[in-house]
Amino acid sequence: MTSDASPQSIQSAKAAVESLAAVLGGGALPDTLASGDDPAAALLHDGGVARAVVGRLRGAGSGVGNDGLCRWLYDAFQSNLPELQLAVLRFVPALAGVYMSRAVSRKQLAGFEAVLLALYAHAAAQRGAGEPETVALPNLANPSVYHDAKVPPKTKAAELDVAVLSPALEPHGTMRATRRARIVGAVLELYHGKLALMPISSKLDFCEFCVAWAGNRSKLDDKPRIAAPASSEPDGGGAAAATEEKWRRVPLPWELFQPAMRIVAHCLLGPTGSDELKAQAARAAECLYWRAAETMDARALLATRSLVRLSQMMEEPIPEPSFSGGVENMAELEAMRANILSTKN
Amino acid sequence: MAAAGESDNGSEVSPTAAGAGAAAVAAVASPVKAKARALMELETTSASAASESSEARVVDDGNIQEAESSLREGLSLNYEEARALLGRLEYQRGNVEAALRVFDGIDLQAAIQRFQPSLSEKPPSKRSNKLRSDSSNSGSQHAASLVLEAIYLKSMSLQKLGKAVEAAQQCRSVLDAVESIFQRGIPDVMVEQKLQETVSKSVELLPELWKQAGAYQEALASYRRALLSQWNLDDECCTRIQKRFAVFLLYGGVEASPPSLASQTEGSYVPKNNLEEAILLLMIILKKWYLGKTHWDPSVMEHLTFALSLCGQTSVLAKHLEEVLPGIYPRTERWYSLALCNYAASHNEAALNLLRKLLNKNESPGDIMALLLAAKLCSSNYSLASEGVEYARRAVTNADSSDGHLKSAALHFLGSCLAKKSRIASSDHQRSLLQTEALKSLNESFSLDRHNPDVIYDMGIEYAEQRNMHAALKCAKEYIDATGGSVSKGWRLLSLVLSAQQRYSEAEVVTDAALDETAKWEQGPLLRMRAKLKVAQSLPMEAVEAYRTLLALVQAQRKAYGTIKNGTEEDDDKVSEFEVWQGLASLYASLSYWRDAEICLQKAKALKSFSATTLHAEGYTREVREQTQDALAAYFNAVSTELEHVPSKVSIGALLSKQGPRYLPVARSFLSDALKLEPTNRMAWFYLGKVHKHDGRLADAADCFQAASMLEESDPIESFRSL
Repeated sequence: MTSDASPQSIQSAKAAVESLAAVLGGGALPDTLASGDDPAAALLHDGGVARAVVGRLRGAGSGVGNDGLCRWLYDAFQSNLPELQLAVLRFVPALAGVYMSRAVSRKQLAGFEAVLLALYAHAAAQRGAGEPETVALPNLANPSVYHDAKVPPKTKAAELDVAVLSPALEPHGTMRATRRARIVGAVLELYHGKLALMPISSKLDFCEFCVAWAGNRSKLDDKPRIAAPASSEPDGGGAAAATEEKWRRVPLPWELFQPAMRIVAHCLLGPTGSDELKAQAARAAECLYWRAAETMDARALLATRSLVRLSQMMEEPIPEPSFSGGVENMAELEAMRANILSTKN
Repeated sequence: MAAAGESDNGSEVSPTAAGAGAAAVAAVASPVKAKARALMELETTSASAASESSEARVVDDGNIQEAESSLREGLSLNYEEARALLGRLEYQRGNVEAALRVFDGIDLQAAIQRFQPSLSEKPPSKRSNKLRSDSSNSGSQHAASLVLEAIYLKSMSLQKLGKAVEAAQQCRSVLDAVESIFQRGIPDVMVEQKLQETVSKSVELLPELWKQAGAYQEALASYRRALLSQWNLDDECCTRIQKRFAVFLLYGGVEASPPSLASQTEGSYVPKNNLEEAILLLMIILKKWYLGKTHWDPSVMEHLTFALSLCGQTSVLAKHLEEVLPGIYPRTERWYSLALCNYAASHNEAALNLLRKLLNKNESPGDIMALLLAAKLCSSNYSLASEGVEYARRAVTNADSSDGHLKSAALHFLGSCLAKKSRIASSDHQRSLLQTEALKSLNESFSLDRHNPDVIYDMGIEYAEQRNMHAALKCAKEYIDATGGSVSKGWRLLSLVLSAQQRYSEAEVVTDAALDETAKWEQGPLLRMRAKLKVAQSLPMEAVEAYRTLLALVQAQRKAYGTIKNGTEEDDDKVSEFEVWQGLASLYASLSYWRDAEICLQKAKALKSFSATTLHAEGYTREVREQTQDALAAYFNAVSTELEHVPSKVSIGALLSKQGPRYLPVARSFLSDALKLEPTNRMAWFYLGKVHKHDGRLADAADCFQAASMLEESDPIESFRSL
């Protein structure tokens, strides 16, 4: 699927909404959407849109080569309008989640793959060819803006350890099975970069898929997974398959595990202010921990163990104003009141 | 204006002085008393009302104005101060909305204008002036403190009412005001305690408010402002802000631009991205704790653990864990964490030593996670396999009570350790016992957790090693299904198993399918396999072609990565150029293209001078050309380069067995030696059979030949151990 194969490329957010409405069929989207002030923002935040699109993505038969929704996602992303790209990224959790689970069964998913490859190419271009994402670890012997080093550096700064956070993104024109985790991982990194702008429902989707990917239950929940979210509503075209597909456990090499874990960490400890999300994320973190324990992957164990521990710690509240000074004044005032009363008598 | 200053000077008078003044009749003479009385009236009226029903109580605007005017009338309190006092009382009583209404009337800008000249023009360096300026200073400071606190409380009130944006704006205005009053930063001394407290609290509050408001860029900026400007914060407060900032950077999901500051001196560390800045802050907090400046906060270490594990820098993390003073973590926990760090950094020996201490019978011999880690660690090393078996057994028993998941993992590691141990077993009997046990453990592990593909893979390898190709094939297929073909070694296992069954064309189909699923850069091992498959099918020209493709890839890789290895990529999956020349040499030799073989050998030698494989290949070319002495010399060199080089031992045995009866015992010992190292080497069995035949032990010879022929039917093109 290439952009020239599509009937017309999407030029504006308004056009995007209209073509999405055409893809989803009548009544799936509120009519007011396209006429609103900011259709792109509506695409990103509107609950109805999200339910309809995610429902369709999760539905049976989605993601094949001629899937209109995948084509829409592809076209909307290729429009190069940042706000539309955000609206596409919003669906990365559902997209990646369904794709990875089904790809293990080696189904034909050319539609999903086209979208994911487009996102991957964007991530690679953003990063620059052959550039890994590195982290230069601070050495406290060097001063920084936040602290002074005791000994002023004589001639040269102390050596820094440079760690690779994410290896270079090689160009990939097709989805090869052995590179699948890397490609999806890089797409998750792209999503991670925009997390602050993503609605909570998108992050909830991700945590849910993360639990499924890890493939083992959290020790906390004995009861089965709370039944399908909104996807079983009759709005999606594939709603005929009423029974929710069981999302398969997927191979989680570090290149996929790491970005997934970073997103979960954000949901758990980031400034989202949603208790539901925090609870879901805590569950996902625990599932990832047990998954790491299966192979005793040390760095995954260390990182997820910290997440689980942090999820159990209390957040420190913002300090309240203290009135200790005021109390002193009160005592002073009290004394004066006594004086005044005595003079009155 | 001046009156305000003076009146506040008066407030410095101590209570005893006020008490002495009480003898005087005119209470209004002292502005303090007047103010106090007004306050008190307010106190009593509102307190009595509050006692009735505090939540239902509403102060209407009329009341406020009344109270305010009574405060101002006859007093030297100005409008702002009066409102500030009133509002604070309301806030203190929990009447947030009422407080807000009172605070709304305060004009901060006007107030600042008044404070500014008296405070900021003070020359901080002139000591002669200090005393006087201090006294005039403290008065206006007090007034400033009162008004700033009011705005801070206003911000808190707004926050409590869920108006985060407005709250943040108010809070910011406090900081702006402080900055414009103290243009040179807040001096360490000479600042009233209450004012400092308001400043610190506001500095700490502002980023949190922006975060609540969802304005992450503002939050980021206000964190930096808090930490980089001179607010004279105490250590605890500063640490709290640093920690929150680090957490925000780590998990905020915001792409922050790095701090770009002119003030950065040469040689200083400049964080380039969120993660670097977060790690820097966390390290600084830890250091402050080591120096006793703050209290211990366990979450700091957890955040740092997360951040450093994320980028694989666990050896740095280990250093920080080691620096943690005793008494924070129980020692067994510290050892376990350190073992994880060391293991992740491939310092296996250090990790194992820590685990040995931890699993000592006087510490926590039953710690399941530590046992699992120890077993896993030992399973990768022949010489540790026995020790690993012990750990794994203990893990299996200890996992009984908890759950199947961990027990399955324990059984998996037990199987791997037993399999490793079986490879170095000293007798056939012991070996077969261990192999049976290994398979049993792996099967049990699989029955407890059917979803772990690694167990299936290890089972496949074990079956293949034991030449149960049928079962191995099933496992290989299942593994590919479970991983969706995403793991290269699965494809390679399947192809090797097929080649062992002499199903070469099918093996080729699998290899081609695997090549389709593999990116160019990682195709090396598969291309090598394809070349060997061609050789096995006696298609020399195609084999040469396959080797040529492989060579092109390998050379391109060398150019791309340079001669220096970059540590990012694991080298397991790379074919070395040396190997390719090696393979080509033996191919040409088998075709009797001596010159070509020689050239290839030279190339191989140039890459690696002392290699048993090259020497062996050299020996082979000599042997085929009937240069027996030279061949033998080359083989012996190979064995002395690598003591356990099986092919050379077999070749020596074979060569010697042809040299007449005198050499038969020596040949036999070389061949037996080779078989001890590699019991499935069919050529060794074959030549051993020949030796027996020459010696007249026909029954033994028959056994050996039978073994050789059976093995030939299940001989893979590459050893399963190469996977």
